[in-house]
Amino acid sequence: MSRVVMDIDNLHARIGGKEILKGLNLQLEEGKVHAIMGPNGAGKSTLSKAITGHYDIEVLDGEIRYKGQNIVDWEPEDRALEGIFLSFQNPVEVPGVNNAYFLRTAVNAKRKHQGLPELNAAEFLREMKKLVQELGMKPEMISRSLNEGFSGGEKKRNEILQMMMLQPDVIILDEIDSGLDIDALRAVSEGINKMKDGKRSFLVITHYSRILDYIEPDYIHVLKDGKIIKTAGPELVAELEEKGYGAIEEA
Amino acid sequence: MAQEELDKAVSGEYALGFEIDIEEDKVPPGLNEEVIRFISKKKEEPEWMTELRLKAYHKWLEMEEPHWGHLEYEPIDYQSISYYAAPKKGPESLDEVDPKILEAYNKLGIPLEEQKQLAGVKVAVDAVVDSVSVKTTYQEELKQHGIIFCSISEAIRDYPELVKKYMFSVVPMNDNYFAALNSAVFTDGTFVYIPKGVRCPMELSTYFRINALNTGQFERTLIVADEGSYVSYNEGCSAPMRDENQLHAAVVELIAMKDAEIKYSTIQNWYPGDEEGKGGIYNFVTKRGLCEGENSKISWTQVETGSAITWKYPSCVLKGDNSVGEFYSVAVTTLAQQADTGTKMIHLGKNTSSTIISKGISAMKGQNTYRGLVKIGANAEGARNYSECDSLLIGDQCGAHTFPYLESKDAHGQVEHEATTTKISDEQLFYLRQRGITEEDAVSMIVHGFCKEVFSQLPMEYAVEAKALLNLTLEGSVG
Amino acid sequence: MRPVLLGSMSPESLMEELQAAPSRALAARRLSELGMPTRKSEAYRYFEIDPLMDHDWERVEISATSEIEETQRRIVITDGVVTALPADVEVQVGCSDAIDLDGAHFDPLYYLGHLMSREVISLRFRKDARVTIVHRCTQPAKLLAYRTAIYVDANVHVQISERYEGENACGALILSGHDAFVSRDATLTLVKDQTLRIGDYTPIFSHRIKVDSQASCRLHSFDFGAGSGLQLIKAELHEHARIDADHLLYAKDHARRGTVSQIVHIGQSSVSNQRAKNILVEKARGIFDALIKVEHSGKETKAHQNSKAILLNDGAYMASKPQLEIYIDDLEASHGSTTGQLDEAQLFYLRSRGIAKDEARKMLILAFANELIDALEDDALREDLHRSFEEAYWGTTNVTCMETCHGCEDLAAETAAK
Repeated sequence: MSRVVMDIDNLHARIGGKEILKGLNLQLEEGKVHAIMGPNGAGKSTLSKAITGHYDIEVLDGEIRYKGQNIVDWEPEDRALEGIFLSFQNPVEVPGVNNAYFLRTAVNAKRKHQGLPELNAAEFLREMKKLVQELGMKPEMISRSLNEGFSGGEKKRNEILQMMMLQPDVIILDEIDSGLDIDALRAVSEGINKMKDGKRSFLVITHYSRILDYIEPDYIHVLKDGKIIKTAGPELVAELEEKGYGAIEEA
Repeated sequence: MAQEELDKAVSGEYALGFEIDIEEDKVPPGLNEEVIRFISKKKEEPEWMTELRLKAYHKWLEMEEPHWGHLEYEPIDYQSISYYAAPKKGPESLDEVDPKILEAYNKLGIPLEEQKQLAGVKVAVDAVVDSVSVKTTYQEELKQHGIIFCSISEAIRDYPELVKKYMFSVVPMNDNYFAALNSAVFTDGTFVYIPKGVRCPMELSTYFRINALNTGQFERTLIVADEGSYVSYNEGCSAPMRDENQLHAAVVELIAMKDAEIKYSTIQNWYPGDEEGKGGIYNFVTKRGLCEGENSKISWTQVETGSAITWKYPSCVLKGDNSVGEFYSVAVTTLAQQADTGTKMIHLGKNTSSTIISKGISAMKGQNTYRGLVKIGANAEGARNYSECDSLLIGDQCGAHTFPYLESKDAHGQVEHEATTTKISDEQLFYLRQRGITEEDAVSMIVHGFCKEVFSQLPMEYAVEAKALLNLTLEGSVG
Repeated sequence: MRPVLLGSMSPESLMEELQAAPSRALAARRLSELGMPTRKSEAYRYFEIDPLMDHDWERVEISATSEIEETQRRIVITDGVVTALPADVEVQVGCSDAIDLDGAHFDPLYYLGHLMSREVISLRFRKDARVTIVHRCTQPAKLLAYRTAIYVDANVHVQISERYEGENACGALILSGHDAFVSRDATLTLVKDQTLRIGDYTPIFSHRIKVDSQASCRLHSFDFGAGSGLQLIKAELHEHARIDADHLLYAKDHARRGTVSQIVHIGQSSVSNQRAKNILVEKARGIFDALIKVEHSGKETKAHQNSKAILLNDGAYMASKPQLEIYIDDLEASHGSTTGQLDEAQLFYLRSRGIAKDEARKMLILAFANELIDALEDDALREDLHRSFEEAYWGTTNVTCMETCHGCEDLAAETAAK
């Protein structure tokens, strides 16, 4: 077994007074792709919110140990600077904030955190333009307002663009395939696969197995009623497709 | 369709303009201490009530009639109004109610016999003609649940402690000019008390009818919903067609304790006057609800189609944390009607929320004004308001005006207001007509769509009435 | 002079008391009808006008025309007197007691300003021009009243930017404003930066703008000030005329500032578009009280109005009163108003990318404000205002090019090509 980069231990969390995660245990291994699957309402998105420190979440009990530290009380930006990246299911639109300016601020915040010199506008834009092209995004995306008026596919590509610029260590992909046509899905998963380097870990949250044809998982975890009820290899996908979530019983 | 025919159609026909031929007991016009003592004596009121009335009268004398509304009307001569009129025969039971009144109420579609239920649903009715309550139905059945549903005059006699505690507690007697006048001369109205934890098993309803000539109607309604209770209350009203203007100045006070909910619906169909602005009711009404306890809720729904002048702002004071206020309104002004109506939502408690949906329809020479205040106090942390005020104009002689006042003192609160003013578009009409729908039906369809959000708030049987009323008022309105 | 005492006077005694020019008879009649503003007056409802009206003011005497300095593109008005004029702009400047007053202005102080100004500073533009007007005020604790008239001739396009300086004018009350006449097919762009950089006085700007057939007026007001100040605007639109009015307010401390306006559509097919953005910090109060009125003659008009406010902390206060008064059915009209705070989801999104909370807040506030600053067509003015906003927000300037400019990829392309 590889080194554990994130260890979620007995996590209880609630949103708006309702307990959603009820003692969740999960270990993410370095360099591995973990897929979280489960029926609607199982707590998949809540898990991503708990890891990133979303304002809706109240952690009642348990720990999220990341690189050896319990991060449940950390500010969201501190988690990000330490390498946790969430690709949002529905990225929010931020009118008036220039996409390039936003991303440069984020990249430079991270560089500063790592003790690296900041990128100037030209260096940064050169890099950004290259990736924009690679992802098949329209060049005007660079200067438009952050996510404003982007189509579903454009938003997801923009998430991947940010991921590639920020070079995170743990990448959470929340329903990355929702609302994507086949071309966009291919471009997005190519981007993701390029990020695989044997060190970086992925947590792919999905309701359907479609995305797993593009991003090969090492582990499948089934999340049901706020707990991981089964962990297995990729062969579980076929079983789930055939029998559905109802057939999976707590191990 | 020619404009003339349209106007004729749009004015509808005031179907409730008949007069009941009954013997009336009426004081001569004019207002002074003697008249107030007379009213109080007629009502067999205790001394404390007489004193309160006189106190209100003296406050009224010192006040001035407000003129900030977007309204134009002839000055009101308060000395030419008769402040008390009552059918001569006082009823003891239904058998003793003047058959003419029974017939009149049947004509209005309001059965006073308990076995005859409105649209198959049990509705308890308090029927008020001019200054007195003539009949309250289902009182016995309600009593079994501990619910008090009676005329306000009875309540003053039989439940003085409740009345003393709550009357004037939401609308103080000197709140405004018309409220002060009402406090001095109110003649009848309805009192409702729902005890702790009781869900009122039927719709409660009061039907007001102005009948006598030269009289004003000054009713007063007080509804108290104790902890965890629920009540849905409806009022309707009509008046005969007369050439002179008649004054209606009512006060309604609602109090909702912790976890209680009051739903108050009004279908106002006072005589609107004619297209020259002659005759019709001057409707100056103060309605206010207090969400006293946590998680309480007060919801106002009004369909205003009548009156020559409407001046009314059913409001909510959201004092209890997490309390909810709602205001749903359809106001129609056609002929030469003028309406200045809206609401006030005063957020005092934490996480209070309010919703305002106002739909104004103006046709012919109608002038329709929405005026609303949303105030988020400094301690109302997390308060939220959403307002939507839409106006529909039919014809080029009418007016639609929107005057919202939005005041927010809380950095965690959210106030959102949206308003649009539109006319029925030619494209919409053409589209519907191209599909074989008559012009009248097409207009009605569009108008109903416009009002849908509000009608859906009304109890079912009243929604049917409101739709019919709207059709009648706006028949075939676009050319 | 105690303004409140003027409220109950007859027109005749007003003329005498204020030693007004005979051409101001209409102003006296209207002021007498309207009365002096009090806290109960709708237009001054949220402003606290009473102490200002009840104060015994010493009036600033308008001196005779002084020596006039020659400048580049700048007109300087010091204490109500023109002290500098541009050599390079064709503008006819004069003082005249003749003025075509608006007989239906809603603001009594519009009339008081006119009654107190024997002469009006008039600027007539016969050719296209760009000019800056600097209003300077040097007399502390006094009441200064002066009026300017702007005439833009037919087919002429003019841009005026205005600034205000109040050196040594602490505690003064200034009653000023424009009567602007935009003739047929002309354009007037008025960019007003009402931020007081130096000094602390209370300005009450009362404007009247007449936009003739097919003419267009763009009004951009920016106010990043503290203290009290109000602008009152009455605009009338004739056939096919258009007004675009933007108001950006950033108020802090105990400021009470804002806009009260009436846009009246008289002619058919006229268009108005009004946008207000208000950012309120500390104990500041923002006012947006704006009426759009469509007269019976205003067929096929389009009138849109929108106000957005964010309260950045408890104690900040927004009073918003968007109003529509409409007398015709053939039109398109809407208004919207929101008051809230920074969006939590947006803030979280930025923070989840590693941007610190303060930085993320600033980005969102700037984004909120930028929409109105970016609406300026003039590059130099846009940069000035970005800087001005930054100064108000941080107390210093540290705006980066990418924050405000949307053309940076060109720069990158250039460097990449090298």
